[in-house]
Parts: sequence; structure tokens; C-alpha cells
Amino acid sequence: MAQWEPKIVAFLCNWCSYAAADLAGVSRMEYPPNVRVIRIPCTGRMSPKFVLAALREGADGVWVSG
Amino acid sequence: MGLVERKATHRRYAQAIPGAFAITKRGTAPCRATCPAHVSVQGFIALTNDGRYREALELFKQDHPFPGVCGRVCTHPCESACTRNAVDSPLGIMYIHRFLADTDRASGKPYVPAKKAQRQEKVAIVGAGPAGLTCAYFLAIEGYQVTVFEKLPVLGGMLTVGIPSYRLPRDVIEAEIQVIKDLGVEFKTGVEIGKDFTVGQLREQGYKAFFIGIGAQECKRLGIEGEDYKGVYPGVEFLREINLGNRIHLGDRVAVVGGGNVAMDCVRSALRTGSKKPFIIYRRAVEQMPANAEEIEECREEGIELMTLTNPIRVIAENGRVRAIECIRMELGPPDQSGRQRPVPIKGSEFQIEVDAVIPAIGQETDWACLTDECACTLNDWGTMRVDKVTLQTSDPDIFAGGDAVTGPATVVEAIGAGKEAAVSIDRFIRGEELAGDRKTDWRPVEDVPTEGLPHLARHPMPMVSPETRKANFNEVQQGYDEETARAEAHRCLECGVCCECYQCVTACKAGAVTLETHGQKPETLTLETGAVILAPGFEPFDPSKFDSYAYAKLPNVITSMEMERILSASGPTGGHLVRLGDHKEPKKIAWFQCVGSRDLNRCDNSFCSSVCCMYAVKEAVIAKEHAGDDLDCAIFFMDMRTHGKDFERFYNKAKDQGVRFIRSRVHTIDKVGDTGDLAVRYVTESGELKTETFDMIVLSVGLQTPAETVELAKRLDIQLTPGHFAKSTPFAPVATSRPGIFVCGAFQGPRDIPQSVVDASAAAAAAGEILAEARDTLTVIPEKVPEVNVLNERPRIGVFVCNCGINISGTVDVPSVRDYAATLPYVEYAADNLYTCSQDTQDRMAEVIKEKGLNRVVVAACTPKTHEALFQETLMAAGLNKYLFEMCNIRNQDSWVHKHNPDLATEKAKDLVRMAVAKVGLMQPLQEAQLDVNQTALVIGGGIAGMAAAQTLGAQGYTTHVVEREALLGGQARHLFQTPDGVPVAQRLDQLVSDVSADPHIQMHLNSEITAVEGFVGNFKTTVKNGDQEQVIEHGVAIIATGAKPLVPTEYSYGQDPRIVTSLELDAKLKADDPAIKELEAAVFIQCVGSREPERPYCSRVCCTHSIDSALAIKARNPEANVYILYRDIRTYGEREYLYKEAREKGVIFIRYSLEAKPQVAIENGRLLVRLTDPILGRPVEIDTDLISLATAILPPDNNVLAQLFKLSLNDDGFFVEKHAKLGPCDFATDGVFLCGMAHYPKPIDEAVTQGKAAASRAVTLLARQHISTIGQVAEVNPALCSMCGVCVSICPYSAPSFRAPTERFWPGRAEINPVLCKGCGLCVASCRSGAIHLKGFDNDQIFAQLFALNEAS
Repeated sequence: MAQWEPKIVAFLCNWCSYAAADLAGVSRMEYPPNVRVIRIPCTGRMSPKFVLAALREGADGVWVSG
Repeated sequence: MGLVERKATHRRYAQAIPGAFAITKRGTAPCRATCPAHVSVQGFIALTNDGRYREALELFKQDHPFPGVCGRVCTHPCESACTRNAVDSPLGIMYIHRFLADTDRASGKPYVPAKKAQRQEKVAIVGAGPAGLTCAYFLAIEGYQVTVFEKLPVLGGMLTVGIPSYRLPRDVIEAEIQVIKDLGVEFKTGVEIGKDFTVGQLREQGYKAFFIGIGAQECKRLGIEGEDYKGVYPGVEFLREINLGNRIHLGDRVAVVGGGNVAMDCVRSALRTGSKKPFIIYRRAVEQMPANAEEIEECREEGIELMTLTNPIRVIAENGRVRAIECIRMELGPPDQSGRQRPVPIKGSEFQIEVDAVIPAIGQETDWACLTDECACTLNDWGTMRVDKVTLQTSDPDIFAGGDAVTGPATVVEAIGAGKEAAVSIDRFIRGEELAGDRKTDWRPVEDVPTEGLPHLARHPMPMVSPETRKANFNEVQQGYDEETARAEAHRCLECGVCCECYQCVTACKAGAVTLETHGQKPETLTLETGAVILAPGFEPFDPSKFDSYAYAKLPNVITSMEMERILSASGPTGGHLVRLGDHKEPKKIAWFQCVGSRDLNRCDNSFCSSVCCMYAVKEAVIAKEHAGDDLDCAIFFMDMRTHGKDFERFYNKAKDQGVRFIRSRVHTIDKVGDTGDLAVRYVTESGELKTETFDMIVLSVGLQTPAETVELAKRLDIQLTPGHFAKSTPFAPVATSRPGIFVCGAFQGPRDIPQSVVDASAAAAAAGEILAEARDTLTVIPEKVPEVNVLNERPRIGVFVCNCGINISGTVDVPSVRDYAATLPYVEYAADNLYTCSQDTQDRMAEVIKEKGLNRVVVAACTPKTHEALFQETLMAAGLNKYLFEMCNIRNQDSWVHKHNPDLATEKAKDLVRMAVAKVGLMQPLQEAQLDVNQTALVIGGGIAGMAAAQTLGAQGYTTHVVEREALLGGQARHLFQTPDGVPVAQRLDQLVSDVSADPHIQMHLNSEITAVEGFVGNFKTTVKNGDQEQVIEHGVAIIATGAKPLVPTEYSYGQDPRIVTSLELDAKLKADDPAIKELEAAVFIQCVGSREPERPYCSRVCCTHSIDSALAIKARNPEANVYILYRDIRTYGEREYLYKEAREKGVIFIRYSLEAKPQVAIENGRLLVRLTDPILGRPVEIDTDLISLATAILPPDNNVLAQLFKLSLNDDGFFVEKHAKLGPCDFATDGVFLCGMAHYPKPIDEAVTQGKAAASRAVTLLARQHISTIGQVAEVNPALCSMCGVCVSICPYSAPSFRAPTERFWPGRAEINPVLCKGCGLCVASCRSGAIHLKGFDNDQIFAQLFALNEAS
């Protein structure tokens, strides 16, 4: 059986963390491909319902950054 | 600086937007510049060094068809020019390309360049020597039908018949000529033009152009008696016979006359044909011989005598055959026209030598039999062809010439260079283009290549057959480098040009962004018509290498603050990991040395303070502790701690609390501690104690200075500079230089930090705007708008465009499979992949596809929306779609680039992201951007210096401006000031400003007035101004807050108890009034920081140090005998104010430092005014008997609360207004349409207040200049039916966008509504709304949920 890999949903603020994730690419940093990023206009937009929905949809972790 | 190695092709820095690459070129390397064929020498050497021999050879052959030939017989001017000469010895450049050619030849599949499209025009080349062959080679590549006519039965000209095969083996020549044959060039040997065919006949046969490269094959005569005897063989003929295989024996003793390569070839060939004692007769010294040094050396090795300073005067014969030669000794006289010393015969030194043969080899000339009557070409006085120097065109337009026939006997590589240039000319001639055109003729080499301290690397010698073995035969002497040697030799290259011009980037760039033309870019001179010029050339960090005592250049763990910034940066060389550069050890102790290259006249010429270093050192220390943990010991060695910026003192205090040590001492020496890399610091404490402390790392806080080239620029522009080389300006016109129309901002105006530079920049723009106001909008082009298609209620028809981004995405992600997968998703009507989706042609195609397929939603899976969303949205608009019907999917920055070792999972992730984007875009609705009119009127609150400066700028740009001033007079606090630091009375300039502002018809004054109410928002404010009992409502689009500040009324130092104790402003009043008592003062004491930098007021009032020193100097000017004391905590005369501090010390003002814990005590005893304190240097109490005490009182903000509430602005803990962004928005507020300037922002001197006033006006004009403002479409909207009126949104919004509807409204009274103009779309209210009444367009719940629900659909 293949090793279990978590699926992580990331809510990233358009102005900081999303730009930082872009910069990680520009700098050719590497990280595991388990993250799916959802861009939000500000972490102020973050609602607990999104976290719950992500977990219900099978996410193993939710990362909010901003 | 140089923390990381980088290639010539590089990205400027990680955060650069656009993240485009740049190529660093220092210039043309001397080797390439000097080579007549301009071979990209550094390029082929770099490729050789990299082991890419084939590419290296291909590169060589772009410029030169004979790497093997020239690798043997070239006179290598490139090596003479090699920068390595300055270090040890030049690179063996020709040996390296010989290796490349030999490798290519041995491969069995020699490289043949690709031909361009075939052309029908025929070209005739006369002469198959190096010039003709080269011309044929390049014309064949261009696609022409080339025929070469050669008189001799063999090809190669002098290469074949002039150079002996022990130097240049025949198979080498043949192999390189074979390539030319393979290119389709036709050769006709044994054909003599002028005899067998004439040029006229060839013209009739359809030849469109001719190249004459017939060389100079006729030997020049010695011009002495007996030259026609048997046994005298002209050198070239002798070589030709031998090279054609005719063996000639000349006898044992052969005199070869001449010092060039032909003479050397003759003498060595004679040796090889059996002559026992061939020798050279040459009239100058060995040093003047034109032959290659190597060949002279090889002659000597072979035992050949060089009889120099000898000239033949007669050939003596016996029975018609040579018996002897009579010569005369020469000596070197004065230099001739060529600069060489002219040989002069020594009288009476004639002598005879017995010889069997004489070979004259003193030069050649051309046989011009080919020039028949139909040629209009002309010869010059030397018997060579007259041609245009650049184009090589002769007097007959279709005839071109080059090589020895034009230059007289010269080198192979010069002939090759000529053949190449002639080929360019012939191509242009046939195409009917201008011949000279933009041809590169300026090949100036780079000069500023650093060579100091480079390690010596010996040149690799050429392996050779021993003299004994080689003397007897014509086998090749030089054996060539092997691979290892060639690479090792290539490794010695100093890369003079930085970019080596290997052009591999041109091949690699799929987008065609880098081309050969890019590499050929030259500086251009443009002439621009402008109404104003703004100078923002910046500064350079001081280079501390010159300070031996800090050993910056020698000790790797001594770094500059700029390097420290990079080390602390996440995108820096260590990825933000704090380590020493020397050994990558994590430091435990770091010291900062302040004032390196600032406030220093002993070791450098920068006597000014650089203003920013104290603060950046504190910042670096705090960040270093954040990186490495609290245990990191940080010590800052300083003279005065100058944290005079807004909120800087607080930061300084916090750093002290966090354990950063501040040591008041200037360190003199750094010593290394053994081989540990640690650094010992010896310093003297303030009390005179000598201490030694060891640190792991030392950071030199280097100052700011104006680069030499900027000083040059200033000279060219004819603007005046200050003594510190900053642009000179005056306090009331701080961004104007001495030349009208030229403005300045940033560090060239004086050393300054980011906020001040940003303020400066806006102010300079305003100053330029004032004189350009009339031209506003005269050059504006408004793009045509495509009418929007209504897609409401349409079923989604989604187009997905997947980008390859060259290989950036497709190198990792399987783009075709993502595209095919996208096509299977619901509502997707069209899916395609593009090489570069952002390219203009793809954009045009995309717009067509949208229209053709009737798409109403678009997904682009490519890079990041941060940089490219706007571009694609424009394409949507061009296709008539609302730009919000779009979603970008980031499969490059957040996928292919970060998962390059995981292509399968990266592809899966790309599919997931595309699916999520498709799910979201289906729910996107067209959004409208609200437009509102801007009322083109400004309101300035406060009539002080800053407010008036703002009003003046707005008025000058034609905007109606209302100035509201609480007092009856304009001028604010400046009315109380005596003079500016440059010694001009403030009143004089202030009066001028007041009268200018009052006279401006655009400006309306509201004196004795206050603001009582504000309604509205950006573009449309309604403000109520109250003047006594009268109220007036002013409608305006923008507001500028310039409410200023006020002085503290001191409660300490016995203020108020004695008229001799005054505040700074009260002293100014005395100085203004020229109070005679000032002259009578025997002593005066200034006490600094009265109320500033105290626990209840933890900020520096910024202006008081300069102010007190200025007043102290004023007292000294009136009474030089007065004892003047300044009691201070830190003297903060930042920038060029430092000169005043220096002047005060020179004039005898005594500065005594005190600490917050031990403040001076003021006593009034028996009418005497006494100040007591402890001198920190002497450590003893001091009592000063004084006639005057001036208190440098703190600057306090006025009560700004009401105004803050009216305009919804915030105040900091000290009561000053909080700007939008401390660094980047120093004149803006978070609230749109309201701007900030002057002391309402923070205490500041007049020049800075004027600058910020102008800057705030400038920011305001960015709104006023528009007729309308468009808002964003992605804003929040309330569904009033669901609103429960809880008010959370109203209280939580940082932009004051939500409000309650009036209770009197007909619909939904009291419910919340959101002003789309103010909403920034952050979504805070949406997430906070308990009733779910608020929706955020573009990021609504259903859209985000759609993305979440799409997470798992595939797997």
C-alpha cells in the first residue's frame, strides 16, 4: 500500500501569503505537492464554515495564512 | 559586495516584478575587440571550460571559418590584448581553438553551418586565399551561388603555398576548405582572371558582385646590386615551390633577408631542405622583428643564427652564381614615422659573408593583371586596391576587395576579417541596402576589469616536437593541447566582458526574448522634450575597504550593514538563516559599529551624518535576535543614538528591553582571534577604561554617499551641490535644485530613510506638476471600449487556456494531459494549451476564440494572478466579456516551480487546481465598477507651513482650494521661529509664502475657523466650517490634514520662576527682536530633551538639537566670549545638519551629556542661576553659573481627536495621526481622499514640512486630476432583508464602508448598507456578519464552497 499522503487546503491572503507562495516558486524552493491553495482577498474573509467544509470534503488539514 | 556567485544571466532579485532576467555585460572583452574577425573569444573559451566543445566550435565558426588554420599561424592580437597579461601571461587562445578544430576534424562529422534560404544571385570570388575563402564561406551561408576562381592549381593561397607544412599541415587547410565546399561553393583552379576570363565576361555570365582577394604574391626586390644572379630566390617563390612539392636544395649557407614570418618560414624551410647553415639578415634588432615571438624562438631552438642590425648592400657572384653577400652594420637612430627606431648604417663597417644562396623576404606586392579595362577600380600609390574602409567597396560598385591586395602583406586573420566584412557588404549590395548602415565598427574593449589580487595561474605550454627531431622534416612541430590542457587553459579566462557572448541563451530562449540583436544593444542617445526633470539617482553605500583598522577586505566575518540586510532576508544568500559568511557558523555575538563613513573627516571625507544607520542597526539587531533567538548577544557601538524618526525612539527603547546592548564608544581596531574567525574588539568606554571583547561577527554600519557618477551628472546638468555632494536646495523650496525646472528627491537630496524619500518623491512630482499644469492630459490616449456582451442567465460556456510558459510549466507538468482533462470538465466548451499565453499573438487569438466559441467564462491556468490577472482581464474586455468572468489558476509559481522533482503529483495538482477554478468561474457574475464624479476642490485644514505649501501647490495646478485656519493669522508655529539652519530669517520667507498663497485666486482663506462636521467620502465630501457664529458648508473632493503641533509648556527646570529661564521659542523671540541682553550674556545653558524621550512621551521631537545649536551659534555670533553649554542626551543633527554641530564645537560651544536618570538640576540661589550635573567623562559634578537657560521643549500634537473622528482617521499613542503606511504611504490615510502633512504627522523642521505639504497635495492631485473614480467590482453587498442591524460590520470595517440607513428611509430603515466606493473587498464584514446578510462579490460563499467541493471530484 502506498504511503498515506495528507491533503491540505490552504486559504491564503491575496496580499501577503499568496504572494509569498508565489515568491517561493520564483525562488525555486520545493515543498511537497499536497497543498491546494484557495486565494482569498484577506484572512478577514475567512469563515469557520470554510474550514468545516474543507474537512468534510476530505482535507486532512486546513491552513489559514495571512 | 558579493555574497553569492551569479551568472551573467540572472534575475535581479527574487521579488522583482516582472521577474524577468537580465544579462550583465561589462562590455566587449579585449580579445574579441582586437580580433580582426571579432570572434566571440570569451564565449568559445567559456564553452570549452564547460566541456561543450561542439557549441564552442559552432560559436567560433559564426565569425571565422578557420579555427584550425588560425589555431596554428595566427598572429593572435587577441593574446596581446588579453587582460591576463596584467596578472601573469595571456591565455593560449589560439591553442584552445586549435584544439576545438582538431577535435571537430577528428570526429569524422565536421560541423557545417546551416545555410539560409537559397538565393539565385551569383558571386565571383577571385583568389582562394584566406580572404576569398572567408568571403565565399559567409556568402554561401547567406544562400548565394558562389564561385571561387584561383590562378594556382591548389586552394588556400598563402596558407597553402606560403606557409610551410611543419607549421600548417595541408590536411588542416583542406578540412576547413572542405566545409566551404560542403556549403556549395564552386571552385575553379588554374583559372586566371584577366587572362582566361575577364570581369566583364563574368558580368555577362550573370555574376552580380566580385570579391578580389588575390593577395600579394610577388616578392619585393631588395633593390641592391647583383639581385639577378643565380642563387637569389625570392622568398615567396621559394616557399611556393617547396609547398607545391618541388624540392629545392640551395646549398649549405643561405642568407635570408628579412624579419617577418615569411623570412622565418624561408630560413626554417631551408634548414629542412638540407641547408646546413641558413641564417637571417635583418636590419633592425630582434625586438623589432615583425615575426611571431614563438617562431623566432623556434628558429633559435633549431640553431638558426639571427644576424640583426645588418643590411645587405651587394650580392657578389662568381661565374654568374652567388658567392657572397656584402653587408653593412646598422645602428638604431631616431624613431621614424612608424615610431620604430630607424636603422642607420655605420660607416666603414662593411663586410662580406660567403653564401650559396640569398633569399630576399622583405615583403610582397600584388600582380594586378586581373584588372582589365572593364574594371573601374583604382589603385593607390602603394600599388594596393583603393577601397572604402568600412565596406571594402572599390571604385567600381560591384567589385569589393580585401586581404593583402588591399592592405599589402599582412596577417591571415586580417584577411579573414576583410573577407567577412566584404561578405556583409556584398549581401547588402545585392539586396540593394545601404552598405555601411548600422554596421558595428566601434569595438572598444572593456577597460575596468579588476585584476588586483588574482592568483597566478601559469599558461599551459604548447607541446612540441624536439628541435633535433623536427629539423630534418616538414612534420608539424606544435602538437596541440589535449582535452585536459585545453580546459585547464580555458579556465584561466578572467571573463572580462562578464557575459561571454556564447549566445547559448539565444538558442535556449523559447520566447525569442533574447536575440543576437539583444546582445548587440548599444547605449542610445535619446532627445526628449520635457518641461521638468526630476533627479532621483539615489546613493551608494560607503565602501569600508579603505579602513585598514576594520579589515573589511581581509576578514570574512566583518561585513557591511547592507550585507547583513541580505543575510537577514528570506530571499538572501543564506535563505534568511543567520550565519557567518566565513565558515557558516551561527554567530552567538554580533557587534555593530556605527558611523562608518559618516561623521568622519579623519578617515574619509564624509562629515555629514547619514541619518539612517542608527535606526537600521537597531532594526538589524532586533531582527537578528528574532532569527537566532534571545540568546544572541547584540552590541551596538555608537557615538550618538539618532532615532529621530516617527516611532523610532519607541523601537530603540524596545531593543534595549530585548537586551540589545548599546555601547557609547567608537571602536578603533578589529583583531582576528587566531584561526577561529572570531574578532577581538578593543574600545575605550566613556569613563576612559580600555576593554577588549570578542565577537563572532562585526557589522559595519556604512553611511550613504553620492556616487561619483551622480556628481558628474550634477555637473552636466549644471546644478549646485552641497559640501557633502548632495543637491543644494533651500528650506522653503526643498525639492528644487539651483536650476529652475530641475527637481530632486530621495537620497540625492540628502541622506534619508524610505518614508522621507517617498515624501520627497511626491513633492518633486508636485513641483514638476506646478509648472506642467497646463499640459495636463494633452498627451493622454484613451483606449476604445468594446461594448460588453450580456451573459446574464446564459448557461456557462467555459474556455480553459493552459499555458506551457515555454518549459517553465511543461518541463514539470504534463500540459497536454491537463488540457485534455480540462476539456472533460462540466461546462467547459473549449480547452487549449499555449506556449506563452501572455504573448500578444496568443492574447489576440484568445479574444477571437472567445467570440468564435461564444465563451462566457474563462480560466487561464498559468502563472500568478498577482502579475497577470489584469492582462488577461483586458483580453476578456477586448472580446466584449465582463472582466470578472475570469479565474486564474496558478500552476507555475505554486506548482511546476515548487514540485519539479515530482512531475506526476504536480500534474495531478494542476488538474485539481484547474477543476477548482472551473467550478468557481462557473458561478462568477459580471460585476460593475461604480463610477463617481470627483469634486475638483480641495480642503486644507491648517494654515501653517505645511498647509500653505499644500495649498500653494494645489492652487498652482489650478484646483480651487479652501484653507481653514483656527487662528487669525497664517503661518502656524513658524511665526515664532528665528531663522532656518542656513541662516535666513524665517519671517522673511514666511511672509513671502503667506502673500503668495493669499494672492492666489484659486485659494480661499477661512481664518478664525474650525471644522464642525464632515459628511461624505472620497470625491464628495461636505464639510461644515464654523467662523464665529457663521457656518459654511464646503463641498470638496479631497482633504489635507495639516493641523500642526504645539510646544510643551515645561514644568521642570524651574521654568516660570525666573525670566532668565526660557523655552527655545522664547529665545527665538529674543533673537528675532535682537534683544540687547543677548550680547551681554556671559554664559548660556541649553537643556535638551525637555519633555521628549521621557517615559510618558517616548518620542524624539526631531528638531530641538539643531534648533539649540543654531541658537547657541547665534549667541556666539553676537558675543564670541560667552560661555555656551548644551546639555544633551544624544545630539541628533542628522544629515548635513551635522555641520552645525561641528561648527558649534569649533566655536567653543561646550557639549555635556547627561542621562535620563541624572538630569541637570537648576537652582536659583541669591539671584544666581545655577545648573548642576555630573560630567560623564570626568565623572565629577559640574556647576555652571549662567545668565540664561534655554529649554528645548517637546513638540506636542494638538488635540486631534475631534478631527480624527470626523474624518475617521486614527491617532497613535502620542496623539499624532497614523498614516496609511509608515514607509510607503507617509502622506496618505487608510481613509480614501484624506491626506496628511506637516507636524500633524510628526515633529519636523521647515524643509520637511514644506516637502510633505507638497507631497500631500501631490497625492491629492492623483484623485483631483481624474474626472471620475472607478471602484473595484469585488465589493461587499448587504442583503437588507437578512440584516439584523447588529452593527458589527459598521464597527469592524477598517475603511468605514458600512453604515446604517437613515431611520427615515422608506426602504429598510436602520439596516446596514455598504458604500461600494469605500469598500476594499477584504471580506471582514462578510465573515463577521451573524445573519449571513453580506455577500462579497467575486469571493462569495458559493464560489469558495464550489472550490472546496471540487477538491475531491477527480480521485
